[in-house]
Amino acid sequence: MSADMTRRGLLGNAARGAVLLTLGGGTGFLVRKAHGQVVWQVDVTRCLNSRLGEVTGDGCRLCTSECVVGLSAVRAVNEYSKCGRCSICPAYFDITSAVDEHGLPSEKLCPRDAVTRTPIGKVDPEDPANNYYEYAIDEEKCDGCGRCAMRCKEPLGLGAITLRVRYDRCLNCNKCAISRACPQNAFIQLPIEQALQAQEVKRSGS
Amino acid sequence: MQYRKVQVIGGRGEGPDRFRAELQSVAVDSRGRIYAAGDSEIKVFDAAGAIARRWSTAKPPLAVAPAADGSVYVGEAGQIEIFSNGRLIDTWRNAQLLGRVTAIRFTEESVLAGDASDRAIRRLDRHGKLLNTIGKDNPVNGLLIPNGVVDLGVDGRGVIHAANPGKHRVEQYAADGRLLGHIGRFNGTDPAGFTGCCNPTNVAVGECLYTAEKAGPRVKAYDFSGRLLAVIAGDAFDANCKNMSIAVDARRRLYVADTVKLAILVFEEVAG
Amino acid sequence: MNAGPQGGAGFPACRRNRHAGRPAALALLLALFTSLVLSVSRAPAQAIPYQRQVQTAPQPDTIGGGYKTPEVQRARPRQYWLQVLDVVLLAVAMCVTVWIVLKRRNRKWVVVTAAGSLAYFGFYREGCICPIGSIQNVTVALTDPGYSIPIVVTATFVLPLAVALFFGRAFCGGVCPLGAIQELVVLKPIRTPRRLDRALGLLKYVYLGLAILFAVKPALARDFLICRFDPFVGLFRREGAPHMLMLGGAFLVGGMFIGRPYCRYLCPYGALLSWCSRLAYRGVTVTPDKELDCGLCAGACPYGAIEEMRTVRWDCLYCARCYAFCPRDGQLARAKAPLVRLPGATS
Repeated sequence: MSADMTRRGLLGNAARGAVLLTLGGGTGFLVRKAHGQVVWQVDVTRCLNSRLGEVTGDGCRLCTSECVVGLSAVRAVNEYSKCGRCSICPAYFDITSAVDEHGLPSEKLCPRDAVTRTPIGKVDPEDPANNYYEYAIDEEKCDGCGRCAMRCKEPLGLGAITLRVRYDRCLNCNKCAISRACPQNAFIQLPIEQALQAQEVKRSGS
Repeated sequence: MQYRKVQVIGGRGEGPDRFRAELQSVAVDSRGRIYAAGDSEIKVFDAAGAIARRWSTAKPPLAVAPAADGSVYVGEAGQIEIFSNGRLIDTWRNAQLLGRVTAIRFTEESVLAGDASDRAIRRLDRHGKLLNTIGKDNPVNGLLIPNGVVDLGVDGRGVIHAANPGKHRVEQYAADGRLLGHIGRFNGTDPAGFTGCCNPTNVAVGECLYTAEKAGPRVKAYDFSGRLLAVIAGDAFDANCKNMSIAVDARRRLYVADTVKLAILVFEEVAG
Repeated sequence: MNAGPQGGAGFPACRRNRHAGRPAALALLLALFTSLVLSVSRAPAQAIPYQRQVQTAPQPDTIGGGYKTPEVQRARPRQYWLQVLDVVLLAVAMCVTVWIVLKRRNRKWVVVTAAGSLAYFGFYREGCICPIGSIQNVTVALTDPGYSIPIVVTATFVLPLAVALFFGRAFCGGVCPLGAIQELVVLKPIRTPRRLDRALGLLKYVYLGLAILFAVKPALARDFLICRFDPFVGLFRREGAPHMLMLGGAFLVGGMFIGRPYCRYLCPYGALLSWCSRLAYRGVTVTPDKELDCGLCAGACPYGAIEEMRTVRWDCLYCARCYAFCPRDGQLARAKAPLVRLPGATS
């Protein structure tokens, strides 16, 4: 209880105050700069399974194998308003397989059987080829392998199915493991509202 | 029957005979002049491939067809414009009936316009009045068109051949709209069949029936009973071509619009 | 042993009044911070309108039969208020730990709090977002003009440091899931020799330096080392690369015999917390005038945080074992007289 004590106390307070000011200043700077959440999303103009020109084989499967989540956070998503609802969908059927007696390909494309096909609209009871069909992808089964997206993209299909990151599954890592592995740098970070919107693949021809 | 590429007209670029962004439709008249609809104008090439005339249209043109009297009908979104000597002489506007005119053909007394937004073929008289609609709800769902192009051809007997890509067929209709029959079927591996999800995308009718496909782009010739006559395949076209418009002239030369290279490829029949 | 002058009678009286106001002040600060964070939040949009060129695909009226185009499910991330809740729970857990250790001096409740934090922040939230990794995010946000972080991340970084500045490493004791999982496996901790302890402790500064170095690189080359090499995240997620799971297991097995090895030798955030807790206003103390010199507290501490019968403030990980082992602790817990901090005795 002397000058010694108060001086040490004062020094302590001063040091704490200085650190607090620094923390507060840094916090203020960061808060002013802050924005909403930024999430990872697939850039379809770069993704091999969505962009024009790549028609090789089974496409790229890195989204499935690289994601740290057990069953990858990437899913194939069908933008229904863009889907042609064709009877013979190259994303549902394996169109290189033999044709069965109904005139449809005999094998399905998805190895996990995640795509379902249901007739919609005015159904013609006599001619199944004369119908529109809805194709839905079951997200519990899909693992984001991208085969269907590869077949749906133009010019073969209409590009309605693309690979998208699903945020109820994605952990939003600081550096996404898929982004690290993607050979096309197709994983980008976007504000959440932008990331949720459907992206357009620009076509070079008509 | 074999085909050989003999000429390339147009191409991507900025010059008067080049296309900047789009090549939607190609047609040829009785004198061998080639009409191409692309960007926002119509270009007319002479038989040698040089540009003879060009004029711009009000909206991006989707179809072009020269009539026997020399006027040129141009199909656009919501209207058909009629030009003579490069000047606009008439416009038929109807947003419901002519929502997206992607093909125009002529019979003796009528004009056939393919409307891709309603997926139907409109039969109009020479003044633009609707006579009847063909292909809609026929039998239940009509023309299944996922790729935005209705294409048709008319043969010498007045039978309308319409491409129905969703069903992998070319359907034959009478002028009053009755479905007469169809040829073609889905078959991924057989070249006589149509592959993919929606093929054939375009048709043209001359002495035989010509079809264009995408995704594995190729042009094929069939006779009217459905027998395959010839295939122009693979490397003739850019792999990403889609909706290639075809025209055939009196000398049985084929004019195909390559929609990626933005050029008109001319093929000639060779013996063999 | 008792170095320095003793505190006088009048001095503690002033202290007592101020102590009464301390929890209230903390609660007020917390309320202010929460309201700031909540006020800047953006409510998530319900509908996401998008334009599409729909001329080519068939429309519902073309398809007919009463068909309606189905909604494409837009899987949204975790709601914002839940992220704010995480920050609030972080602050609450730290306050609770401070109170349990400094006021109640009870080890059992510290263990309960740590287990609860492990369950929530560790296994439920899967260890993400954590203040340790947030060092990198804050570094990038401070150095890259194009990068900014949400407020909840800033809060996660700053709050444990602010608490450490006043009360010491309460975060390490009852909140950090990585610390908690190691804390719960401590079995027979050995006493590491001082020199070795000090030398190994420098590793955290190396790790901190590397983490910052890789964080300030440009975006494509940037690497978040702390997240990548976190040994326990695989255990929290219950899945992961085999080598990472084995590393986590190795740390736990090692942690049975060397108390909290990651915390003491590797944790980069621990480096920052130790600097802040040096300046702490209060912390775990061994009261000089009441102690018996029995050395039981020093023997109980697995982290070498008691030297010469005084706590080493920056090494103390708030486990409260010293209080549990002190034979006088019962008396001290019920003592009305507050603890006196003597200038020469503490560090």
